[in-house]
Amino acid sequence: MRILAVIAALAALALIGATLLPEAVQYRWELTIGALAAGAVALLSIFGIRGGGGGTPEAPKPAIAEAAKPAPLPVARNQAEAEVVSFLALLQEKGRLVDFLMDDITPYADAQVGAAARVVHEGCRAVLLEHLGMMPVREEREGATVTVEASASADEYRLTGRIAGQAPFTGRLVHRGWRTEHVKLPRVLRPDEDRLPTIAPAEIELS
Amino acid sequence: MTFRYSLGIDLGTTNSAIAITDLETDRTETVEVTQILGPNRIGEKPTLPSALYLPHGDEFPGNALALPWHDGEKATAIVGHFARDHGALVPDRLVTSAKSWLSNPHIDPKQKTLPWKSGDGVEKLSPFECSRRYLEHLREGFLYAERLQGRDWDLAEGQIVLTVPASFDEIARTLTAEAAEAAGLGKVTLLEEPLAAFYAWTAQTGKEWRSQVSPGDIVLVCDVGGGTADFSLIAISERDGDLDLERISVGEHILLGGDNMDLALAYTLRAKIEAEGRSLDAWQFLSLIHSAAAAKIALFEDPKLAEAPIAVPSRGSSLLAGTISTRLDRATLEQVVLDGFFPITRADQLPKQARGAGLQEFGLPYASDPAVSKHLARFLTRSLTNVRASEALSALVDDARVAGDLLMPSAVLFNGGVFRSDAIRGRVLDLLAAWDGKAVRELEGFEPDLAVAKGASFYGRNRVTGKGIRIKAGAARSYYIGLETSMLAVPGFRPPVKALCVVPQGMEEGTGTLIEDQEFGLVVGQPADFRFFSSEVRSGDVAGQILPDAEKELEETSQLEVSLPAVDDLPAGQPVPVRLNAVVTELGTLELWMQHTRSDRRWKVEFQVRTE
Repeated sequence: MRILAVIAALAALALIGATLLPEAVQYRWELTIGALAAGAVALLSIFGIRGGGGGTPEAPKPAIAEAAKPAPLPVARNQAEAEVVSFLALLQEKGRLVDFLMDDITPYADAQVGAAARVVHEGCRAVLLEHLGMMPVREEREGATVTVEASASADEYRLTGRIAGQAPFTGRLVHRGWRTEHVKLPRVLRPDEDRLPTIAPAEIELS
Repeated sequence: MTFRYSLGIDLGTTNSAIAITDLETDRTETVEVTQILGPNRIGEKPTLPSALYLPHGDEFPGNALALPWHDGEKATAIVGHFARDHGALVPDRLVTSAKSWLSNPHIDPKQKTLPWKSGDGVEKLSPFECSRRYLEHLREGFLYAERLQGRDWDLAEGQIVLTVPASFDEIARTLTAEAAEAAGLGKVTLLEEPLAAFYAWTAQTGKEWRSQVSPGDIVLVCDVGGGTADFSLIAISERDGDLDLERISVGEHILLGGDNMDLALAYTLRAKIEAEGRSLDAWQFLSLIHSAAAAKIALFEDPKLAEAPIAVPSRGSSLLAGTISTRLDRATLEQVVLDGFFPITRADQLPKQARGAGLQEFGLPYASDPAVSKHLARFLTRSLTNVRASEALSALVDDARVAGDLLMPSAVLFNGGVFRSDAIRGRVLDLLAAWDGKAVRELEGFEPDLAVAKGASFYGRNRVTGKGIRIKAGAARSYYIGLETSMLAVPGFRPPVKALCVVPQGMEEGTGTLIEDQEFGLVVGQPADFRFFSSEVRSGDVAGQILPDAEKELEETSQLEVSLPAVDDLPAGQPVPVRLNAVVTELGTLELWMQHTRSDRRWKVEFQVRTE
């Protein structure tokens, strides 16, 4: 799980970086979506790690909330994996993310990719905004000179270039970063602990 | 009993919501409703879509649709987001707009009729039962959500306010209150939705609202929700140096709202897509409706945007091959939504009448004229008729507020999702200005988001604490009992039915009238039926007054039925003299009683919905 998170996060960064290259203009749609998708996978993996430790991804905050739960659900087997699959199912349901990624993209013209990207963008964005309080790590415009205080959390910043001396560090904001203050996901009920939830059901129309 | 909180429930035609005011902290907040978001998936959303889905026994395995308060029993019907979204693809098993069926004069709301016109093998529910289930879900959802926050409320300690459309007649109001009681909410207080919106505005602006209105103002509450349009007029006057507010007119039940606009846009876009030689299946069309709605919001929110892209995904898994793209441009949007639904029409252009034309395709009397402008003109025309019918109301209205046949508002409070758009609000203000010859202002500082639930909760708080304002409302209509005229039979001529006014318009909550002059003879053991009529425009009629021709001047609402049980001192077969006693309860429902002239005994008259 952790390895997946790292790989996906790297892939996300690589793709975001690639969109900035001038020769990538014609592929910008694919790259942006790819970045989004890889970012989402990274996100999922992170939840997986969290969920594995604490049961449900909604870490119960104050003690009263925990006491108020009528009957705390026992942590099921594979619960962390089930939560990840369930979040992926949400991205698929609202934004068709899995359909988009599992299709062979090579034969299609940019216009078709662009049209499909709109579906993915609209749906997945809505999921992120609804279920994760999305906000940038830094509010400043990219390119501005910013200062990283000594008290800053290490996971919120990645320093590159010539790193020397003591914090605070001052440098150019290359990427504003993303973070979330709350995660509010639907709760997954698991009638059968041996199976992971389905990502997308096969649809059959009866006539 | 002391109340600890006030609970406002907005039982909407398309979406429901709840808000609570903690009387200790005096804070009002909305409560997110726990609901089924998919098989084995539950979560909280700010609103509960008023949609009910009846799953097939084998459709979802085990307890895939169980809610936390279900204790493991298998759900026979589900309510909310998943019900609405999944049900759209299985229309035979989906119930929507149950609320509008409550006020449908052609269907008995307690008969199992929904889903309307569904196929064999689907168990049906009555409109009443559907409303009960929505309310039950809201009740359980409220208690559950609050328990999760560590608060354990007792329903008996809450002042519960349930909103109803201003256009609901007494029958529909009574049914709603009954459904709430059957859902375990106890005796609820009813509040008209446009008034709830006004209360929400006073709560949101604090003291500031008093500076935005002044004596002589007539405020139009213009509420266009997803499925219905509801209008009310509130007159502002002054008494002992304080502002006095009275609701002086309510509109008819108009089944026309934002959903019609999204559908109209989707039809326009589908025609464009089909003209390009591509086709959409039913599922894609549903998706197109959602996308069209989103594009509409985007264009209305950003006036600089010339067009908004729309992508309709494929039904199958190949998104890249099957996605259909098109664009919604501003000209089309304005033509369809602004000119189609809010055209600048003349004050004397009223909607095409389709009332009484029998059952339409979906069984609900959907407005046949989509122009909200014309419905508004009709409302303002009827309002003037109503105000002129009584001296008390006429005294509240300055002559300057009369323009031709219309009673013109001087200010407007907009409510409902449709009016989030500046362009639509602006168009309505332009329309009113065109009719009035001068500008009509918009009341400021209103946040329409879930305002009806918040306003209901705030009204409950005012009721309990005695703080804040109360808008004088009372009965929105006058009510009449039909009296058969006794005259010689003439072939080909039906004697007119006279009407006895039993409830005058404006009769206040917690008051009653006894009709002294009219005695009825009821026979023990035999049910007696009466015809029951109402009017929205006869504010001058007083209790006991007799109108010569009920069918010509009034609208028939329902039948009344009363039967006297056999009692020892009332001999069977003999008529018992009774007088009619009408009561508007503190909670806002109407009760009719037959009062024995020689004792304190009385019998309740039940509403029977007319079915044909």
